[in-house]
Amino acid sequence: MSALWWSIWGMGAGLFAAAEFAMPDLVHNVPQLSMPHLRMWHVNGVAIGWLSMGYVGAMFHMVPTLCKTKLWSERLGNFTMWAWNLVMVGAFCTLLNGNTEGREYAELGAVLDVFVVIALVSIAFNIYMTIINRKVKKLYVSLWYFLGSLFWFPLVYIIGQRTFVALPGLNDAIVGWFYGHNILGMWFTTVGVGMMYFLLPRLTQAPLYSHGLSMLGFWGIALFYAPTGTHHILQSPVPEWLKAIAIISSIFLLVPVLTVLTNFFMTMKGKWGMVVTDLPLRFAATSCMFYLITCVQGPFQATRWVNWYLHFTQWVVGHAHLALLGTFSFILTSAFYYSIPRLTGREWYSQGLIRGHYWLKFLGFLLMMVSLTTAGLIQSAGWAFGVPVDQWSLQIRPYWFLRELSGIMILLGQLIFAYNAYKTLYSPQVAAATTPPPMPKPIEVKV
Amino acid sequence: MYGYRVGAIAILTTFMIIIFSTVLMPMVLFNPEPTKTRNDYTVEKIANAHRGRQVYVREGCFYCHTQFNRLQDRGYGPLVRAGDYVFETPHQLGTARTGPDLTNEGGRMSSEWQKAHLINPRAVKPGSIMPSFSYLSDRDMNDLVAYIQTLGNKRKSTHFVEAPDEYRNTTGAGQALLNRKTVDTNATASANAGRGIYTQNCAVCHGLEGWGNGPNAITLEKKPANFSRPFYKQYPDEFWFYRISEGVAGTRMPRFGEVLTEEQRWYLVAYLKTLPQSKEITIDNLNQLNKVEQIKLPVLTNQQYEPHTGDE
Repeated sequence: MSALWWSIWGMGAGLFAAAEFAMPDLVHNVPQLSMPHLRMWHVNGVAIGWLSMGYVGAMFHMVPTLCKTKLWSERLGNFTMWAWNLVMVGAFCTLLNGNTEGREYAELGAVLDVFVVIALVSIAFNIYMTIINRKVKKLYVSLWYFLGSLFWFPLVYIIGQRTFVALPGLNDAIVGWFYGHNILGMWFTTVGVGMMYFLLPRLTQAPLYSHGLSMLGFWGIALFYAPTGTHHILQSPVPEWLKAIAIISSIFLLVPVLTVLTNFFMTMKGKWGMVVTDLPLRFAATSCMFYLITCVQGPFQATRWVNWYLHFTQWVVGHAHLALLGTFSFILTSAFYYSIPRLTGREWYSQGLIRGHYWLKFLGFLLMMVSLTTAGLIQSAGWAFGVPVDQWSLQIRPYWFLRELSGIMILLGQLIFAYNAYKTLYSPQVAAATTPPPMPKPIEVKV
Repeated sequence: MYGYRVGAIAILTTFMIIIFSTVLMPMVLFNPEPTKTRNDYTVEKIANAHRGRQVYVREGCFYCHTQFNRLQDRGYGPLVRAGDYVFETPHQLGTARTGPDLTNEGGRMSSEWQKAHLINPRAVKPGSIMPSFSYLSDRDMNDLVAYIQTLGNKRKSTHFVEAPDEYRNTTGAGQALLNRKTVDTNATASANAGRGIYTQNCAVCHGLEGWGNGPNAITLEKKPANFSRPFYKQYPDEFWFYRISEGVAGTRMPRFGEVLTEEQRWYLVAYLKTLPQSKEITIDNLNQLNKVEQIKLPVLTNQQYEPHTGDE
């Protein structure tokens, strides 16, 4: 058991560090060689390498815990881990050389796509079998989310790659954004929210506020998330009815988001003081806050009139970072900090480093958000008033540098995290560890 | 156990319905006919634009350059239609504009300019943040330029600058403005009336002849427009009026709507319309700038200090 965990977490940690290396280069944006290649690698490295891999690792921990059983097949788990790492190595080599399919979020070439699908299907199979063999009768809401995501994501991924079909341009774009938004909606969001449902009650040692609300949230996301993709191309000549569906469901997304967050905040009620001392909880609570901001921002900028003004600008880039970095990266980090001691029976090497990680990442992210949003507003004004590009691009230069600074802070935070994880996992056994401390008893969650 | 099965079936059905409505239905219902303005890389071998497109994809140009223009993008050429994209696979619509939109880029600049710009963007466009693509092979570079030159070059249009809606008869405000207009902007008399207003307000930057050679021109980073360019022939009256009234953001062109009455601005439009010529008159010499003549100020009595002439 532990070998699997170690390798997954270890590789995950090693890989995200590598993945995050792409970031300062992205945020560099002072002219430099082949920035677009780095951008492809940044998106894929962070989305597929860091977030997805971390998610799968977290699921491999949370699902057996919630089902009170073992993972169905550890061998299969190990296999998926290696397959995934192979994909990442392949992605690194191909994307930096410009071997891309030229579709945002779906840049990986055909061979790598096949590997990803194989890995995803085997992960899904593994988790489904685990859940079928569960020892508890009722499914906790996190399991619903994981089940849903693992069903949706392979499908969405297969549809989204379009490797073996050549669709006419605009249809290609429609399918592309179906995928591009649902990799967020049906994978990052649903797994991330499932993790929040797992972590918050456990960390606060309080029962979840309402199981009914959580179910409402789950079905709301299942219903309204999938068709929103077209809001990325609202102003292009795609059919109006499709745009209308996308906008309406984007706005309806407020329903599941607000139910989910009500649930979280009511669970946290009276426990907010705990974020001072409980570091994983601090990450999780920050993540919830950012989730609130992202999801209020999202429907608002999907409406026609706001989109008219804000589209094409760095505002949108800020929004994407708010979702992936602010929300889902934070909740994943929280999951790491929560699980590693429970999996390995070792305490974290240094609490101070965790604090350092938190503040670097948090402040770095705030700085990034502010600079991107401001730059976006300047650009929006530029487009709306017909200012030539070479004029407004001078005005947003300071914000590029601010963003670079924030990127350095975030990367530094991640490096501290990686160092901490390495020291925790591979430091010579301390005396206490030879007789492993009793695993903290999982808190019974009333559902 | 039942709840679990019902749930699974429900997830399956909702998801399939959604896939059907947003993925399959558009494929069936939405089949735009190719328009005349599309580029078909498979049939017409436009130089090596087909290969150039692959270079465009490979280098990830679409992360910063979009390929669809919108109603509000003034000065970015005629609007695209659905049929223009039939052969654009993989689509290069793009999501963010860190650089300008390239929908109608073809023919806007010469191929030599495009190539120089790819090799060192800042040599031809100071302040640009575009990365240099000097590492491309000569063949890649030429093909890429060929591709850029096909972008939208079939979307020919007699005028593709439109004033904002509030200056056109599409809105109430625009209609009211046009109803108040009493000046015949096509009459020579109006142009003559406008010339005086021009000399007072505009010539200091744009020059007496409108060649962009006013005495102030030398100090401005963004040079004043040279009205002899044939490009300006396509400006509709409303657009001239809009530019005069609201100025050009990002440049030193002020908002003359604050200074001149509507009537004066329409006279000015009448004059400006006469300036574009069949060939641009280029100013490439300091001697071609308009000189400031000595202004004779009234002599003060009991003057204590002589103006410093710098001759001592």
